Amino acid sequence: MKPVHILLLGIVLALLALPSFLTPGLVNAAIQMLIAALFASAYYLLCGQAGMLSFGHAAYFGMGAFATIHAMNAIGGTGLLPTPLMPLAGAIGGGAFGFFAGYFSTKRTGTYFAMITLAIAELVHALAPHLKALFGGEAGVSATRMPAWGFTFGSTNEVYYLTLAWVALCLTLLYLYTRTPLGRLTLGLRENTHRLRFLGYNTHGLAICVFVVSAMFSGVAGGLLVVSNEAANYVLFDAHLSASVVLNTYIGGVRVFLGPILGASLMTFFGYAVSDLTQSWLLYQGALFVLVMMYMPNGLAGLFGQIGQWRSRFGLAALIPFVLLALGAGLLVGGGGAFAIEMLQRFLSQDYQALASANAAGTWPPIRLFKHDWSPAAPGTWLVPATLLTAGAGLAVLARQWLRRLVQREESNRAAAEASVPGDAA
Amino acid sequence: MSDAILTLRGLKKSFGDIEIIRGVDLDLLGGERHALIGPNGAGKSTIFHLISGNIAPTAGEIMFAGKQIGGAQPQAINHLGISRSFQITNIFPRLTTFENLRLAVMRAHGLQYNFWRLVDNNRRVREQTERLLEMVRLQARADSIAGEMSYSEQRSLEIAMTLASDPRVILLDEPMAGMSRDETEYTSNLIREVTKGRALMIVEHDMDVVFSLSERVSVLVYGQVIATGTPEEIRRNASVKEAYLGEEVAA
Ligand SMILES: Nc1ncnc2c1ncn2[C@@H]1O[C@H](COP(=O)(O)OP(=O)(O)OP(=O)(O)O)[C@@H](O)[C@H]1O
Ligand SMILES: [Mg+2]
Repeated sequence: MKPVHILLLGIVLALLALPSFLTPGLVNAAIQMLIAALFASAYYLLCGQAGMLSFGHAAYFGMGAFATIHAMNAIGGTGLLPTPLMPLAGAIGGGAFGFFAGYFSTKRTGTYFAMITLAIAELVHALAPHLKALFGGEAGVSATRMPAWGFTFGSTNEVYYLTLAWVALCLTLLYLYTRTPLGRLTLGLRENTHRLRFLGYNTHGLAICVFVVSAMFSGVAGGLLVVSNEAANYVLFDAHLSASVVLNTYIGGVRVFLGPILGASLMTFFGYAVSDLTQSWLLYQGALFVLVMMYMPNGLAGLFGQIGQWRSRFGLAALIPFVLLALGAGLLVGGGGAFAIEMLQRFLSQDYQALASANAAGTWPPIRLFKHDWSPAAPGTWLVPATLLTAGAGLAVLARQWLRRLVQREESNRAAAEASVPGDAA
Repeated sequence: MSDAILTLRGLKKSFGDIEIIRGVDLDLLGGERHALIGPNGAGKSTIFHLISGNIAPTAGEIMFAGKQIGGAQPQAINHLGISRSFQITNIFPRLTTFENLRLAVMRAHGLQYNFWRLVDNNRRVREQTERLLEMVRLQARADSIAGEMSYSEQRSLEIAMTLASDPRVILLDEPMAGMSRDETEYTSNLIREVTKGRALMIVEHDMDVVFSLSERVSVLVYGQVIATGTPEEIRRNASVKEAYLGEEVAA
C-alpha cells in the first residue's frame, strides 16, 4: 500500500468512528464539512480540471436542494424515493439545470463564460423568491425525513452516516472520472481547446458534459444539505455560496484532487468553530484567500507537496527548524491580526460608538475581548497586536534565512561532489 | 497516380480589405506527396487554415472526396479524414507527452463521451500511443511534461499527434522547422514511411527536403499558385526561379 492509501484508509476509519467522540453539535458541523467538501470537489472538476471558472455554482447546489425537498414532499409526504436515495433527486435537479445553463455558458470561454455563469446564478437568485410554488417564497420549503430500510433517520448520527456514505461514494466517482477518457479530455479542454477541435473532438459537447457532471455532483451536495436540514430556502442561491466554493477550492489548491476537499472541510470547520467568537468570519476567509493566492498559489495542498519535496531535498532534521519557525510566524501573525481585527470590529461597531458618545467626551469605555477589558485609548492595547505582528514577521524572516541556508548548503555540497570526481572531465 | 482527393477551386480569403489568398486552384492527388512552397507571407499557412476549417473561405471551393468542406467545423473535417499539424507548436503543454498523444489516439476509438471505462485499461489505445511514441523517437520522454521538452521534440510530438487519427490526407506545416540535420533527415524518412497510401501536403522551407520528399511541388506567391509540377519541372521553371528559388537552387 502506498502512503496515500494508508492516509485515506485512516481518514475513512476516523470518519466512521467520529460520532462516538463528538457532541451532536460537532457531528452537525462534520456533516456540513462533508457536504462542503463534495461541493468543492464537484466545483474543482469544472474550474480546476476543465479550466472553466464558474462564478455561479450556488445555482446547481440550490437546484439540487430544491429538487430533493420536493422529492421528499412528493406523494403526500411519503417521498418519491426512500430517504437514503433522496440525493439522487438532487443529482437530477442539479444536472438538468446544469445542462440548460451549461449549454449556453460553454459557448463562450474565459471571462465571458464566468460572466454568463454569474448572470444565470443572479437571475435564479432574483427570480426564486417570486416563484412561490417552487421555492416557497421567503419562508422556503420544509419536509420530513421518512424512516426507510430499517433506519428512522431521526438522529444526527444516522444523518451523518448517510452523508458520509454519499460523500465517500461521490468523491470516489469523481476521482475515477479523472481516469476515464472523458476525464482525460477534460484536462485537454483546459490545456488547449483549439487543438482538441483539430484532433476531431466536439469541444462544445465536451464542455457541456463536464459542466453537467459538475452540476450533478453539486446537486447531490445540495440534496444532502436538505436531507440533513429538512428545509430549503431561496437563500441557498445566494452569491455568497458561489463565492465560498471558489475561495475554498483555491485555498485548498486547484492542482490536486484532494486540495479542494481539504480546503472546503477546513474552512467550514473554522467557520463553525469561530462563528460564535467573531462576526468577521467572512473577513478572515477573504484575508486567508488573499494570503494563499499571494504566497502559495497552489493552495494548502500545494504547501504540503512543497514541504514533502523539501524534505527529500534537505532531509527531515534540517527542515524541522524551518517548519517550527514558519509555524510560529503563522501563529503570531494570525493572533496579532485576529486581535487587531476583533478590536477594531468592536471599536467601530455602532453599539460601541453609541455607548462612547453617551459617555463624557474624551473617555472611552473598555472593550471586552479574550476575557480581558482593554481600553482603546491606552497605547498598551494596540501594542499587543503590534508586538505579535512584529514578532511574527521576525520569525518569518528567520524561517526564510534558514531555507536560504539549506539551499546554499545543497549547492556547495553539489559543487564539492562534482569537484571530487575529476575523472569525469577527462 | 490516382484522381484528386482534395481540390481547391478559385479559393479566396480576405482579412478585412486585404486579399491574402487570391484565387487558388490546386489538386492533391490520392497517395501523392505534394509540397507547397513560397516566400514568407505568401499564404501557405492560410491555405492550411482554410482546408482544415480554422477559418472560412471568402469565395471558392474546397472539395474533399467529392464533398464541399469549405467553412465546415474543424472537428467535422478531421472526421472526414484530414489531419493537420501547426507551424506554431500546438500541443497540451502541461500534460505529459504520453497523455498528449493518447488524447489524439483516443478520438479514432470513439471514446469522446466515455466516462464508464478507465482509459489506462484500454490496451489498444495504449499500444497505439506507445507505437506512435516510438515512431517519433519520444518513448524515453513519455512521462515528460510536453511543454518542457526541447523545441524539436515538441515538433516530433506535433507530427505524431497529427498521424494519430489514421487520416487519409495529412497536412504538415513546416514540420521540421528548428530540427537538427540528423533529426530532419530522420523525420523526412519517417514522413515518407507513414504517408504511404495517404496523401500528404507539406509546407517546408528546406529545399533539400522538398525536392527529395515530394512527387509534386506547387509554388505559392502572393496568394496565387504560379506553378505546379514535378521537382524537376519546378527547378527549371523560369518564373519560379525569379519569384522564389533564386540562384541558390538554380546553381
Ligand atoms: N488572421 C489574420 N488576419 C490578418 N492577416 C492575416 C491573418 N492571418 C494571416 N494573415 C496575413 O496573411 C499573410 C499570409 O500569412 P501566412 O501565415 O499564410 O503565410 P505563410 O505563407 O505561411 O508564411 P510563412 O512562410 O512565414 O509561414 C501574411 O501577410 C499574414 O500577415
Ligand atoms: Mg506559415
